[in-house]
Amino acid sequence: MATETVAPISPLTPPLDPERPVVWPERTHARLACGIPVRMVERHTIPKFSLQFIVRSGTAAAALTDPGVAGLTSALLRTGTAAREERAIDEQLRRIGADLGAGSGTDASWVAAAGLSEFSAELIGLVADLVRNPAFPAGPFERERRNALEAVRLERTSPAFLASERFRAVLFGDHPYAIVAPTEAQVEAITRDLLLAFHLTHYSPANALLLAVGDFSPPRLVEQLERAFEGWSGGEVEQAEEVPLPSHFGRHVALVHTPGSVQTNILAGNLAITRNHPDWLRLTLANAIYGGAFHSRLVANIREQKGYTYNPRSGLSALRRHGYFSVHAGVRNDVVAATLAEIFYELDRIRALPVRDDELSDARAYLSGVFSLGIATLDGLAGQLATLYLYDLPEDYLETYRERIRAFTADDVLAAARSHFDSANTQIVLAGDADKIEAQARLFGDVQVFDAHGKLLSAE
Amino acid sequence: MGRSLDFVTEEERVHQLQFPVETQTLANGLRVVISPDRTAPVVTVGVYYNIGFRLEPRGRSGFAHLFEHMMFQGSEHAGKMVHIRLVNSSGGVLNGSTRYDVTNYFESVPSNALDRMLWLEADRMRSLRVDEENLRNQRDVVKEEVRLNVFNQPYGGFPWLDLPPIANRNWANAHNFYGDFQDLDAATLADVQAFFHTYYTPRNAVLLLVGDVEPANGFALAEKHFGGIPAGAPPPPADVSEPPQTEERRGTVPELLGTLPAMAIGYHAPPRRTPEWYALALADRALHGGRAGRIYRALVLERPMALEAEGGIHYPMGGLLDYNGPMQMVTRILHKPEYTSEQVIAAFDDVIGQLRARPLPASELEQVKVKLRSDFYSTLEGGAGSSVPRFGLMHYLACFTLFDGDPNLLNTALHGFLRVTPEELHAAAERILRPENRSIVLRLPAAKTASQRASQGDGHGN
Repeated sequence: MATETVAPISPLTPPLDPERPVVWPERTHARLACGIPVRMVERHTIPKFSLQFIVRSGTAAAALTDPGVAGLTSALLRTGTAAREERAIDEQLRRIGADLGAGSGTDASWVAAAGLSEFSAELIGLVADLVRNPAFPAGPFERERRNALEAVRLERTSPAFLASERFRAVLFGDHPYAIVAPTEAQVEAITRDLLLAFHLTHYSPANALLLAVGDFSPPRLVEQLERAFEGWSGGEVEQAEEVPLPSHFGRHVALVHTPGSVQTNILAGNLAITRNHPDWLRLTLANAIYGGAFHSRLVANIREQKGYTYNPRSGLSALRRHGYFSVHAGVRNDVVAATLAEIFYELDRIRALPVRDDELSDARAYLSGVFSLGIATLDGLAGQLATLYLYDLPEDYLETYRERIRAFTADDVLAAARSHFDSANTQIVLAGDADKIEAQARLFGDVQVFDAHGKLLSAE
Repeated sequence: MGRSLDFVTEEERVHQLQFPVETQTLANGLRVVISPDRTAPVVTVGVYYNIGFRLEPRGRSGFAHLFEHMMFQGSEHAGKMVHIRLVNSSGGVLNGSTRYDVTNYFESVPSNALDRMLWLEADRMRSLRVDEENLRNQRDVVKEEVRLNVFNQPYGGFPWLDLPPIANRNWANAHNFYGDFQDLDAATLADVQAFFHTYYTPRNAVLLLVGDVEPANGFALAEKHFGGIPAGAPPPPADVSEPPQTEERRGTVPELLGTLPAMAIGYHAPPRRTPEWYALALADRALHGGRAGRIYRALVLERPMALEAEGGIHYPMGGLLDYNGPMQMVTRILHKPEYTSEQVIAAFDDVIGQLRARPLPASELEQVKVKLRSDFYSTLEGGAGSSVPRFGLMHYLACFTLFDGDPNLLNTALHGFLRVTPEELHAAAERILRPENRSIVLRLPAAKTASQRASQGDGHGN
């Protein structure tokens, strides 16, 4: 059991000065003639700007039918359009000093570009061409599919990937959120036609969003965007029917056997809530006290006191339709049971007892301060805007975040922890050498052992 | 369309963005550098010590990094966990890192916590208070860090741990920077205190305040908290020089997890801030600058033999402006199993051969310069994740202060690069990118394949 360490704060510690007010980023809203909403924030610290083109369709949109298609579609956008060859695209980006990346997450796909503001019209024109007119050329398609195949083989050698893949499978069952990567056979089955179809369906003004942050003037940027997206049309995207989630009763362990591993990846947690849930910020605060910050209880316990791990952390993950809570640590093999015991000890403690006043005020100050830091860089601000608009949060979310966090009490934390940290029904995933850790795993529930390819090796 | 580059040169454009830099030196030798920018009420505070893993004691590989961990374990007025708690509960984040030639400690906080942050940093510069238990604890934590980043992930530590022992002859440049476990075990509390007294002195450090700080107030707070710390003795002179290389060096390291063969190729770079170094840096960007770079284009996009090909001078630990000593230009390649290492090296040599055969087209060099300038801006603005505003600005100011004695070099840092001509680049490529000046390390999947491991798994009893 953990002993509580509260080293004294020296009376010599300087007090905080009065706060300077945080200046909230003023957003300019627009809607292009083709229907795409645009959200802009000016920031003139460096002569650059970033532009994110987002569609509200990610890997989950094709996970049950064609896994891997969403990711490969976004990867192929930059390999050629009706008017541009791949090499010309790469060299144009370098000529205007820009970076461009494309990818797919669970709920969205995006093209994100950042470049010198003096070349904004060129960069906007290029991004629009990539998302409107991709050619999916045969050569690059074969190359990228082969690379995806190698990447799928390679990721199965990473214990951290295997743990996270199994964890999502356990939590989400038959739901598309359960699938984080395609299999080799599924990659081999992907055709160019599937990419064309995914693009046609999901890359559409009705499904898109544009976010811009940085050194520009909004009216001029909107002009440039209008020109680039003029005449684009496309249909509404049908929302897939919701697949029911599994119910989890009791603690269960899924062990991914990685022979010879010198460390075990622990990933444990439960289904929780989305950002739109009324408890979201309360639970964010509870998480910060539990294991979401460097000075949190879990980090103090299993890292700074016991030295079991370098990277303990807990977190809330919110996808569009569902969210989950998880605790993670990479630990040496002989302390797997000892670490799980502390994870549950701290979980039960924050569910059973109100947090101390100083813990509460520390965590409130931490979250509200870090929120200010998070909007002080172009990347941080772009990330906040993406969260705000992709998850349809209230427009005043940024402005009210700090005051809402600062108003919570120990009772709020206790209620949120009791409702959403589901200690008794926590699902545990371990990626490690079963010969070294299986006996420890059994102390926490029945154990299923899988190999790296998802094949069930044994079950109690 | 963007304006044509013909009207304004890249060098002229650089003058459009200047960062204010104010400097004072305290009586004990501590340099204080302030770059104010009051647009957001946040400040990034850094303390940089002029000691990196090159200079850790022999028989104590990994010590500089282990020591960095110890700096979070307690000082006279801020015991274990208090430093971390006071930063977090002031609304801030913190970290530290150990590099070739510097070790840094930094916090980003709302600016009303500036006084408190300087008090904390001064307390641990004045009086590290750690015990056997702290050392035991952090030795365990560091071992898990090494297991996480090296032993338990595919290509862990490649090539930053694998290339230096093959490429270098001076122990300072050639040892295991993360540390052999027996060396970590051998480290004592006396070693910790000795290292602290030798290198963690005001005269061997620079304090940086970047962001929402009024300079006069910043200097006053620096004097108030750090002014009374004894200057300490100058650190002993160190020799990190590397003898000239006369023939190609090669080595092979087994890859225990990953399925693909990998290789790293490193060329010794000329001394920093010399004309030839600037020229090589541009050659490096022409070779490694993303998808348009010649190596990626040839090996990944056009041949295509490789899945990944990236690199740079000081890759993957840092960039052009944050080291001070012998360094390599490194390329890391992950390639398809049906190609042999020799086939991939031959394709790589084709690319290098073209660069050595004729000058870069002027248009290509111009593109590389625009991209270099654009990347530089972004690094200054962010640079260490989105929650440490202006990390890059702080980082470069620190390095120019410690290595060159002048933080203002930041504002002219790009000039030497932007002046490079195609002929200078060609000459540098010709002289430096020779096989005799390079080392190649192969990291090849061990004989035991993934499917064999899976079948062993099948035999696992329950």
